[in-house]
Amino acid sequence: MRRGLILQPRSRRASREPVVPMINVVFLLLIFFLMTAQIVPPAPFELTLPAAEADEDQGAAALYVNANGDIAYEALRGEAALTQAVVASEDAPLRLFADATLNASALARVLAQLSALGATEVEIVTEGG
Amino acid sequence: MILMIWPRVCWPETKPIPMLDLNQHIRRRRIGLTPMIDVVFLLLVFFMLAARFGGTDAIPVSLARGGTATYDGPPRLVTVLPDAVRVNGIDVTDPASALAPLMAALDDIVILRSADETTVQRLLDVMQQLRAAGQSNLVILE
Repeated sequence: MRRGLILQPRSRRASREPVVPMINVVFLLLIFFLMTAQIVPPAPFELTLPAAEADEDQGAAALYVNANGDIAYEALRGEAALTQAVVASEDAPLRLFADATLNASALARVLAQLSALGATEVEIVTEGG
Repeated sequence: MILMIWPRVCWPETKPIPMLDLNQHIRRRRIGLTPMIDVVFLLLVFFMLAARFGGTDAIPVSLARGGTATYDGPPRLVTVLPDAVRVNGIDVTDPASALAPLMAALDDIVILRSADETTVQRLLDVMQQLRAAGQSNLVILE
């Protein structure tokens, strides 16, 4: 009984955590993640990825081909995009985002062009299961 | 537990009042919760919009020129039509099992060609079938 009387004010005091240091830490973490995170740039055009279950993608540079066969890499379009994408994919596979409704021979043509430009590893990105 | 009682035991002259007074501490100006929650929700919405959900998969393709392996053995040409698959010109239902006797090892090169009306989705469906059977060294030719 007596012990309870002494304990009560202590436990009540412990429940009142200081809020300001916690907010400091939270903001520190927030800023840390904001600085370190890389925000994936949005696709340059509307794209429906083909559905197929495969391995996890490991590439870095992303080359986009839409349903009309237009090619984009970052802000570049067409031939320049292909060249720059091959340069950027020297040490990691080049990720090829091709629209599901794109003609397969157009894809084959892009792959042949990439190969001619010296690309070594290309992976076709799909919407996984 | 003893430590808590200890001051009272050792110094009975110490009044318990200061301890009780701790409850009436100086009232700090409280930080407004609402603006903070506003900011947090703003960040939350931003990241939800910027994030891309549902990770993507990828099928590696061998390039005609980039590969180290060289082609050998009997021809293994898979032609992908919009509604049929042909292995070396013969219609098959299961391309993987039709290819199996033509392959010395599972990582032998398989060449894929597509007809004019074939979509990427159709091509990838066939590639997925072949990969499920372990035939993963796929080359797409024009």
